Amino acid sequence: MIDFDEELRKFHPSKELEDAENAIRALDMTDVVDLIVALEEKSKYQQQ
Amino acid sequence: MRCFNCGCELTRNDFCTNCGADIQEYRRIVRLSNQYYNDGLMKARVRDLSGAVVSLRASLKLNRTNIDARNLLGLVYFEMGEAVAAFSEWVVSKNIKPDKNIADDFIEDVQSNPSRLSGINQSIKKYNQALDYARQGSLDLAVIQLKKVLQVNPNLIVAYELLGLLYLQSQEFNKARRILTQASKIDRNNTRILNYLREAEEGIRIRNNAEGRGDDAGPVTVGGDAITYRSGNETIIQPVNTVERKGGSSILNIIIGALIGCALMFFLVLPARINKASEQMNAQLKQVSDELTSKNADLEEQTKRIEALQAENDTVRAQIDNLTGSSGMVERYDYLASAALNYMRNPQDVVGTESLLKNITASAVSGNSMITDNVTGLDPGIYSEAFRNLYNYLNGDVASKAASSYIVQGKEALSRGEYTAAIADLRRAVEIDPANDEAWYYLAESYKESGDSVNATQIYSRIVNEMPDSQYAERSRNSLTNGAATDNTAETAQTQQNDNAMVAVDNEAALAEALALQQAAAGAAAQGEAPQ
Repeated sequence: MIDFDEELRKFHPSKELEDAENAIRALDMTDVVDLIVALEEKSKYQQQ
Repeated sequence: MRCFNCGCELTRNDFCTNCGADIQEYRRIVRLSNQYYNDGLMKARVRDLSGAVVSLRASLKLNRTNIDARNLLGLVYFEMGEAVAAFSEWVVSKNIKPDKNIADDFIEDVQSNPSRLSGINQSIKKYNQALDYARQGSLDLAVIQLKKVLQVNPNLIVAYELLGLLYLQSQEFNKARRILTQASKIDRNNTRILNYLREAEEGIRIRNNAEGRGDDAGPVTVGGDAITYRSGNETIIQPVNTVERKGGSSILNIIIGALIGCALMFFLVLPARINKASEQMNAQLKQVSDELTSKNADLEEQTKRIEALQAENDTVRAQIDNLTGSSGMVERYDYLASAALNYMRNPQDVVGTESLLKNITASAVSGNSMITDNVTGLDPGIYSEAFRNLYNYLNGDVASKAASSYIVQGKEALSRGEYTAAIADLRRAVEIDPANDEAWYYLAESYKESGDSVNATQIYSRIVNEMPDSQYAERSRNSLTNGAATDNTAETAQTQQNDNAMVAVDNEAALAEALALQQAAAGAAAQGEAPQ
């Protein structure tokens, strides 16, 4: 049997059109390439 | 492919030729991102929308500039009813690649139908409200609200999920199974939906076991040649009975089919063709009617123009006739020149000069009128000033002389008893000089002697009334009293005798009546009645 309250907590309010701008700003645009670049820069910094 | 560091176009080398960055790992990442994109695309094609979302998100996590993956993710979100999430992905995609991006078409397509967009937004708001109801424990209100949501936005997967969960909570397993089945047609491999669906099936099974009968005892599905239904825990597949048709009936069916086809042709196709032909005929008729109306209007306009030109032609012709005709100006100038020449060569021939001047304009004197204004006046609008001056000079000099000459001739003719000639000469004299009392008097005498007592009486009366100071007024009065009046009385009496042939009239009564008529005539003359 499923737990109703537990399942209900998994639901989140859907974004409305008025919140579209905020939703776009809140998008996490970081990708693996960014991580690699950051790691390379960090590595260079440590070497220096 | 462009360098992640400087944005320069990459070559086959393992490093960027512009900035020298190592791009080996970058190539692997991009390749992996593309693989996830392909996976997401395959899942989307089989309507595994939630699976496609997972793959496409992974693709974007590896390479955020994967435009195809981002656009497809937006499309999948939109198909799942998540319009805002879809817009977000498309807007970001357009920011990354402003030109030649299919996200433009998606955004434009959605924005071109504001009512649909508004409906989706309202459905999302209602879903959020339903979620609030559910969290507050108002499950019935939440169910009602979610039903409304699904009427407006039938692809909102989360609404199906929540509604299914609410049905499960309220032990309405059949409804839960039906709504979740609908959701699974939109998103076939949604883990949550499958989980809820399994729960609903389990609930149905438990309930059926408890009640000892099949919940779905009736036919469930009808295949091509079989009916499937459940009885308890068993699924029964029953073939549909079919009767094999024989050859004779097939021919009969073909004939029936042909007849039905002919009937359809007759009742459906033919009227449509007839209507179409009729519409074409009506259109042509309307066109011809329009053209005819236009032609008629043109014809009427041309007719009016012809009439106007005809009137103008008549006017011009009249003007030309006025100038060149027998009574035209050229002719009048000729008469004036002839009169002037005759006056200079033979000043004594006043009658000839006057005759020529007479031709220029008709005499203003007509009948027995004695007082006439502007006898020799010429219209300044027609005749030039030089013409009028010459005419007036000649006319002023010869008119009175000519009148005197006519009077002398008339008197001589009167004395000779040639009354017709006398009347003609004297009438000419009064036409030239209407104020000449002598001419009028002898004209009356001529009329009297010729037996025309009516004209004689009228002229005598005119002299008496209009020229009372004339020496001929008294003589005219005497003539009225004696000669002309007596003759007139005699004629009147004779008329009376003719009218009353059966009545005897003695001489005294006739004389008295004649005197009365004479007085009446004198009275009428005194009132200034114009002579005719």
